[in-house]
Amino acid sequence: MAFLELEHITKYFGQSTAVMDISLSVEQGEFLTLLGPSGCGKTTILRMVAGFEIPSAGNILLDGEDITNRSASKRPMGMVFQSYALFPHMTAEQNVAFGLTIKHTPKDVIARRCAELLELVGLGDKGHSFPHQLSGGQQQRIALARALAVEPKVLLLDEPLSALDAKVRVSLRNEIRRIQQQLKMTAIYVTHDQEEALAISDRIAVMAKGQIEQLDLPEEIYNNPRTVFAASFVGTSNHFRGVLESASEGLCQVENQTLHVLPVQNLHDGDRVLVMVRPEEVSIQSANDGADNSANGVGNHIAGVIELRTFLGPFTRFHVRVNESTTLTADVPSQQARDYYVAQHVVLSFSPNACQVLSLDKDAVELARLAEAEKV
Amino acid sequence: MVQAARNINLPISKDRSTRQGFGVDKVVLILVLLYLTVPLGATLIFGLSTGNGINFNTYHQVFTDPDFSQTLLLSFGLALASTFLTVLLVTPTAYWVQLRLPRARPMMDFLALVPFAVPAIVMAFGLIEVYGTNNTLINILSLGLVPLLSNEPFNVVNTPQLLVCAYVIISLPFVFRPIDNNLRAINTKVLSEAAYSLGSGWWRTFLTIIIPNILPGVISAALLTFSTVMGEFTLASLFGIYTFPIYLNGTGQNDAHKAASLTILSFILTLICVLGIILLVRIRPGSRGKEDRLDIVAAK
Repeated sequence: MAFLELEHITKYFGQSTAVMDISLSVEQGEFLTLLGPSGCGKTTILRMVAGFEIPSAGNILLDGEDITNRSASKRPMGMVFQSYALFPHMTAEQNVAFGLTIKHTPKDVIARRCAELLELVGLGDKGHSFPHQLSGGQQQRIALARALAVEPKVLLLDEPLSALDAKVRVSLRNEIRRIQQQLKMTAIYVTHDQEEALAISDRIAVMAKGQIEQLDLPEEIYNNPRTVFAASFVGTSNHFRGVLESASEGLCQVENQTLHVLPVQNLHDGDRVLVMVRPEEVSIQSANDGADNSANGVGNHIAGVIELRTFLGPFTRFHVRVNESTTLTADVPSQQARDYYVAQHVVLSFSPNACQVLSLDKDAVELARLAEAEKV
Repeated sequence: MVQAARNINLPISKDRSTRQGFGVDKVVLILVLLYLTVPLGATLIFGLSTGNGINFNTYHQVFTDPDFSQTLLLSFGLALASTFLTVLLVTPTAYWVQLRLPRARPMMDFLALVPFAVPAIVMAFGLIEVYGTNNTLINILSLGLVPLLSNEPFNVVNTPQLLVCAYVIISLPFVFRPIDNNLRAINTKVLSEAAYSLGSGWWRTFLTIIIPNILPGVISAALLTFSTVMGEFTLASLFGIYTFPIYLNGTGQNDAHKAASLTILSFILTLICVLGIILLVRIRPGSRGKEDRLDIVAAK
């Protein structure tokens, strides 16, 4: 049995369903991220684990013990909030010490532990500062130290970096990961930022509409998304909607073109599908060179005109219009991108390996729309 | 205010605005100060003059009058009791509503405003009527509480205890609003959850986390209740209890000079209370100064 088990958890708020029959296992020392758009139920799950909400159905087991109905103050959880939630009338040190004071820990132990934790989060000299004297990043570090002070069995982080600016966000997320690994702490992290989730997690649960769409390693989520929602929400991708012409040969009819994909296992000929290609898998050639390649018949080749060229440092992103309704995105290493300019006629190529074929039923279309709308 | 007016004027034309701003805001300030201080000064002088020039005779009379100290002490006691009881009742309730029953807040807002709408005379007669006469329907509706309190050994009719209860009701608007405003301003829910997750129970969270952060609201609520009760006349008069405002009124009808001295004295007393409380709020640890203003205006 896993360290933390959620068994068939459902949560209703009045008429609406926030979480629908979710089962989830978290191993000891694991860093699990719940990733999804707002309203997908990720925070509700975290709050149920913390004890701030009681599930309408299902059980939560920690280390084999049923804690479903135990009050928040009696659960061995440490929580870090989006808004830091430091006690404004206490110094950083008093904030960290609060949980230990409640446990009647001897004063000298508290002092030692506070010093250790403040050192751990890199704020050894800020013990006597009040929260309003600290920056957002520093406040969140103190909040992390405060949550760790009570030696929780599980650390819960509810969008802890959302309120911070980009630079601090990256450095603090690395810090959180370092501390979690150093202390071998089990952690559940909630975010709507897919980049953050990919960077920090051991496993990611991609969520939509109260359900888990895919629970997997970050690499798998990115490279082999299992659902249209996961494919749309995580990372940037090109989408082709069409019909599976031949599952065994790997042919898809998309608009006026046939795409070559790898042979598909779970789908049947004639199914509506979505073919997904990551922009970094798409290569670009000028129209003249491209004609030669397409004659060779290697992979897929689509002609178009460069509409937008965006320099993003290590790579350059091209938006290429291939017909009236479709623009494709290609990420090209910046060193190779110098020869291409806006309004140039080009050919985009990608191999069958780069194509992910996903079933496109009615729900999936709706979820894909949701993912596009909510994506950060 | 004056500073703000200047700041707004500055960018337009330094020369003109400085001259104009200087004139207008100073004049307004002086007018306001005069409006506030002239009656006070006149009262002070009137109290000090007894026909034989300026002297402290009236103050001497006031201090030697046994009614003065008695009524002042009684009013002080009533005010303290009412303040204590109101704050004790309303603060946890407001916290509870904020945390668990946010949907009940409009109802609380309404209930807290009712005492403004109901004249004191209605409440006084209501209370006297309910507790003073034996009515079967009221006995049943109150589940036997009214007959129990109306007869020995409690017999609360026309007692200071019942008056305190009435004061608690009339001060509800002054207490609920500032406390509720403060609770909303500090992100009560998240702070409470943070405390719970660290192992703190409801009461400990309330006393050690919430109260210190809403102290400005609690203090201004207490201050408003205290000053309202110190000056309350109608209810006390209808209950037939001899409080300081009633003594003040009686004295005013007999001796205007003495009444003027009393007014100045009660003004000084109130001033000491207010300054003391403002000082108390200022020296709180972790206070941010500008955010720790008293919510008197909001309550009004």
